[in-house]
Amino acid sequence: MTNILTATDLSKSFGKKEALKNISLEIPRGKIIGLLGPNGSGKTTFIKLVTGLLVPSAGEIKVNDLDPGVETKKIVSYLPERTYLNSWMKIDDILSFFEDFYPDFNRIKAQNMMQDLELNSNDRLKTLSKGNKEKVQLILVMSRDADLYLLDEPIGGVDPAARDYILNTIITNYQENASVIISTHLIADIEQVLDEVVFISKGQVALTASVDEIREEHHQSVDGLFREVFKC
Amino acid sequence: MLGKLLKHELKASGRIFLPIYAVLLLLTIVNKLVLSLGCPDFFNEETVSHPVMEMIFAITLLLYVAIVVALSVMTLVVIVQRFYKNLFTDEGYLMFTLPVKTRDHIISKLLIAMLWTCVSGVVITITILILSWGTFTWMDVTQAYSMLSQQVETQLHLSMGLLIFEAALMMITEIVASILMIYIAIALGQLFNQHRIIAAFGAYVVISVALQFIFSIAMLLIPVFNLDYTFLSLADPTEVVQWFLNGTTAINLLLCAAFYFGTQYIMKNKLNLE
Repeated sequence: MTNILTATDLSKSFGKKEALKNISLEIPRGKIIGLLGPNGSGKTTFIKLVTGLLVPSAGEIKVNDLDPGVETKKIVSYLPERTYLNSWMKIDDILSFFEDFYPDFNRIKAQNMMQDLELNSNDRLKTLSKGNKEKVQLILVMSRDADLYLLDEPIGGVDPAARDYILNTIITNYQENASVIISTHLIADIEQVLDEVVFISKGQVALTASVDEIREEHHQSVDGLFREVFKC
Repeated sequence: MLGKLLKHELKASGRIFLPIYAVLLLLTIVNKLVLSLGCPDFFNEETVSHPVMEMIFAITLLLYVAIVVALSVMTLVVIVQRFYKNLFTDEGYLMFTLPVKTRDHIISKLLIAMLWTCVSGVVITITILILSWGTFTWMDVTQAYSMLSQQVETQLHLSMGLLIFEAALMMITEIVASILMIYIAIALGQLFNQHRIIAAFGAYVVISVALQFIFSIAMLLIPVFNLDYTFLSLADPTEVVQWFLNGTTAINLLLCAAFYFGTQYIMKNKLNLE
């Protein structure tokens, strides 16, 4: 089966500032990958290139062998670091919105998760706390039956209990041939769910390895290795 | 997918317009009641109405005018705000990752903007009709129309139907072009890393000035090449009117195409959400 994501010599610059430099990367199906790096290292830029929100300056990126576009957006489920919920909708409205645009959206699944996290479907999005908004977005994203999940800082603002629940839904929800890319700097929290890690530093790939390799070869946790690689 | 975008765009903007329409219609009816029951001779210089009633009518009339103005301003504000906020702020992260063509984003916003512009116009017309109800009869209207169309036909040798059609075409293309000009200004504004709203406003001003400049130059060129004499020698008023209407429509269409494709290019290739 083809890789779900392939980047070849991918570069992106904003004016004179180079955010990504010659990144080449292959992401197979069926894995949970941590995209790890300090703030400003290019994680979000990379993810935005995959979603098609940005266009590469050089090189190419393929999702399921296709250029980012309508067809790839159908199979990519993306959680931005931003809150994109508008203020006037109710939770129910945004569920209908997702149901309308994504045929792979499972409303029942979303409603069950909302119940588990004690979110009321009649609440207006405006009245939700920041953490609850993040939960709603994560539920929307994980209720799709996508091939590639891109989670940009998914757990930054939620409490530890919800964090565990969310990580649990991430591992239990995705299908065998789907992959999940999680970008974060809160490594210790997600380490347990990761299969592979990509360290990214100053716009370049610093290291790709499976979590098992890191444990065997470096005799370290991912968190420990991260602190070593990115020591200030 | 365009249909679904239209549906959600209609929902998102309708919740703002429908209440204003309701308030406006209600206020119109109140105005009409106060006028016909309280001071039926308000506009008659010779008879004096009850001063309290006159006062009440003056207030309700003022409110009516305020709402009409507010509706016109709101129409413009919503056109700007829906395009800017929904596509180029954080909401853009949702909209631009939907499996939808860029084209459909622009078209859905444009069509709904057109719809509300037209509906607002129709609603205001209806309220004026309600207010002036009883001061004219249906026969007055048809008579005025037939007189006008007779004049058009004898003086311009043009059928009234064709004239209305061409004028409507000109107006519609004018509205589309002005909406698309707002869109391209917003799209240009988001190319900047900071102060995007100011940049968008600046882009709008620059485009307006540039267009003014081009038209002025074109106007200057007409006498330079003695085109005005050729034009006058035709001197058939029919042709002059036709030239003016259809020429404006053609220019509008050109502007529409330029603005539309410019906006689409930026949204496809130069999108840079904050």
